[in-house]
Amino acid sequence: MNAPFTFLLAPHLWSMRNRARRRERGDLLRASFFGVIGLGVCGALFLGAFWLTRQLAAFEEFGDYLLRLGLSWLFLTFLGFLAFSGVVSSLSTFFLSEDLRLLLAAPIPQGRLFLARFARTVGQASWMVTMFMTPVLVGVGAARCAPATFYASAVLTVVPFATIPVAMGAGATLLLVNVLPARRARDVLMLVSLLFAATLVLILRFIQPERLLRVESLPDIADFFANLQSPVTPLLPSFWAGESLFAELQGGRDLLHGAALWTTALACTVLLSAADRRWHFAGYSRSQEAAKARVNQLKAIDLVARALPLSTVQRQLLVKDAKVFLRNVSQWLQLLPLLALVLLYLYNFRTLDLERIPYMSGFLKNVYALVNLAMAGFVLATVAVRFVFPAVSSEGAAFWIVRTSPISLRDFLWSKFWTGLVPLLVFIEGLTVTANELMGVDPFLKVVAAVAIAFMTVALVGLAVGLGARYPRFGADPTEAAGSYGGVAFMVLAVLYVTVMIVLLGWPSSMWLFSRFRGIRLSSVREVFLIASFVSAAALSVATSWFAMRSGVQALERMNR
Amino acid sequence: MIAIADLVKKYGTFAAVDGMSLTVEPGEIHGFLGPNGAGKTTTIRMIAGLLQPTSGRVVVNGHDMAANPEAAKSSLGFIPDRPYLYEKLTAGEFLRFHGGLYGIDGDGIDGRVREMLDLFELRRWEHELVESFSHGMKQRLVMAGAFLHRPRAVVVDEPMVGLDPRGARLIKDVFRRMSERGVAILMSTHTLEVAEEMSHRISIINRGQLIAQGTVDEVRGLAGGEDHLTSVFLKLTGGGGLQEIDEAV
Repeated sequence: MNAPFTFLLAPHLWSMRNRARRRERGDLLRASFFGVIGLGVCGALFLGAFWLTRQLAAFEEFGDYLLRLGLSWLFLTFLGFLAFSGVVSSLSTFFLSEDLRLLLAAPIPQGRLFLARFARTVGQASWMVTMFMTPVLVGVGAARCAPATFYASAVLTVVPFATIPVAMGAGATLLLVNVLPARRARDVLMLVSLLFAATLVLILRFIQPERLLRVESLPDIADFFANLQSPVTPLLPSFWAGESLFAELQGGRDLLHGAALWTTALACTVLLSAADRRWHFAGYSRSQEAAKARVNQLKAIDLVARALPLSTVQRQLLVKDAKVFLRNVSQWLQLLPLLALVLLYLYNFRTLDLERIPYMSGFLKNVYALVNLAMAGFVLATVAVRFVFPAVSSEGAAFWIVRTSPISLRDFLWSKFWTGLVPLLVFIEGLTVTANELMGVDPFLKVVAAVAIAFMTVALVGLAVGLGARYPRFGADPTEAAGSYGGVAFMVLAVLYVTVMIVLLGWPSSMWLFSRFRGIRLSSVREVFLIASFVSAAALSVATSWFAMRSGVQALERMNR
Repeated sequence: MIAIADLVKKYGTFAAVDGMSLTVEPGEIHGFLGPNGAGKTTTIRMIAGLLQPTSGRVVVNGHDMAANPEAAKSSLGFIPDRPYLYEKLTAGEFLRFHGGLYGIDGDGIDGRVREMLDLFELRRWEHELVESFSHGMKQRLVMAGAFLHRPRAVVVDEPMVGLDPRGARLIKDVFRRMSERGVAILMSTHTLEVAEEMSHRISIINRGQLIAQGTVDEVRGLAGGEDHLTSVFLKLTGGGGLQEIDEAV
């Protein structure tokens, strides 16, 4: 091959161009939905960074010190993330990607293939960090009225900053793949990286940054930042990046740290290239060996399924779905960040200091119970779109087995419904009941919330399974299926449904609570309204689930025509 | 020419390929037969430079695959059993990219791409995305890519899987014409009729080892003069199981 290494990136660029040119159904809906969310997040980050930088500016030297430290910490937070992301991405780009068979069978000089794959790895591992950092750095720059050179310098800082940890991560992968078969290594790495992400969230939560906002804790701030300092910090690229940008903000130049960043990035690339030349082919060869992992028989699932009152077909479908899910490490590992978020969620309710507003605390607690119900509804929708919506799609190319077997598609789809419903109901009931218990809400609202969330689970699981059958993406990764037209349509409908449910439940509950606080008996007309609202909420839930499932069954039956 | 000598591939203590030696001369179509798990795909992957042999040598047109992989791969065409294609590229884009990998670019590439698309009856779909192709069309597109750079040797893993009779006929014609032009073709297949019809010589492997080699008639002789290649194959690779199947059914 005579072309430069960038030619090897062409298929991805052409694919992206083709994808952009050829619109599929639902593209506009999907783009609008995700676009609004993306813009909202970027806007919030920009405003947050802008506001905080402005606030710090009021403290002159101490503010500058905090900003300088903050920039280093911003980069340090991402340093570990980028290294882990580099490990996972390079495993895919250098060893597991399917196009490697085509590329490695072609006469491509190894150095060029390395550069192309490394560029792709850096891009793949760092795009999220870049997307996050851009509004933050723009916010900081805008708040300090930074010159244009600050923004140029930010780009020149982020590129080598991202390259260094990703190169180290890729080096670790190269080593690991030569020791373990790649498919096994990926499982191990995904577990480690997700644990890392979950731990990071928990640590951030437990150091309680919100206490900095309280006036009474002002003397603790110096201690807080002192704790974040460490003797190794100046040796890390995150420190160099922070220092470079801080100098630019002050209108100066920090060429020493800038040069440290670039020379280290280049040295890492050269060293990794040499290691790749030496060990890549051996590692790639190993990566094609079948994973020799012990297959966990998961006998407990068979035992549980046998104990349940199910028909043989239902039992086998349940066992198959559960085993396929549990044996796919990348699937169930995604539950870990979810677990971290749940702990965070409950922790927030535990630390919610409503007693600071004594006259309002009783009322606020009950308002929070409804907020909690809405939040639980949205959490439920998010979990359902990721784990329940792809239930039919996950049959993939093997769906012919179900379609050619003597099972009615109705039974098949309802089996998917029950498989999704039971774990989600246990999870979300636990979350709602615990949160309300921690807040000490009114017993009436506790009961309403517990019953309501059960109905909401029935509705959202039915909606997810039904729409998942109506808009299946066979062969797609479950994440892809969740982001497809059907997945986005589900999210839109789920948000609408949860909103309507909160209105239907919130209005009569508040009416009832007000009357109780004031010691007034509800009029019979209002009582009828109250009951009608609760019945409507229940009917809406059952109808949502039933119609979605019916529509899903019909869609599956149409496939056979 | 393709030559492998004492090729071994071990996974732990299990030898998937165990001391294989084989030569495919220019212009020869060499059928590579063996039961499932015999080591055919592993051998083919080592010849294509996708798998590192534990020991032994692979030489393609005089270039050692281990010592000089780029030169060896330049003159080799590889057609895998499961065609990987970039689903979001068009057929034309895929072939242009493929040509680029083998150093074909500039003025020559467009003409050559059209020639290949015509040859494999894909011209109508030049600007269609690969994701909309049937399995047979994808298979033909992979073959178009494999022959695009005018290789002097080709390794093919299961060429007829998923092809309709017209597609299969097309592929046979292409292989014959390539062989007439001096291209060495090593063709792994389960379709014994195809091997019998097309191969100048065949090799049968079992449990990673070569158990028979020669022209179809010579191999028949090794199996005691059986008429059908299927019977020869079963006899050499241990087909006694068929009787047990009869009993079980």
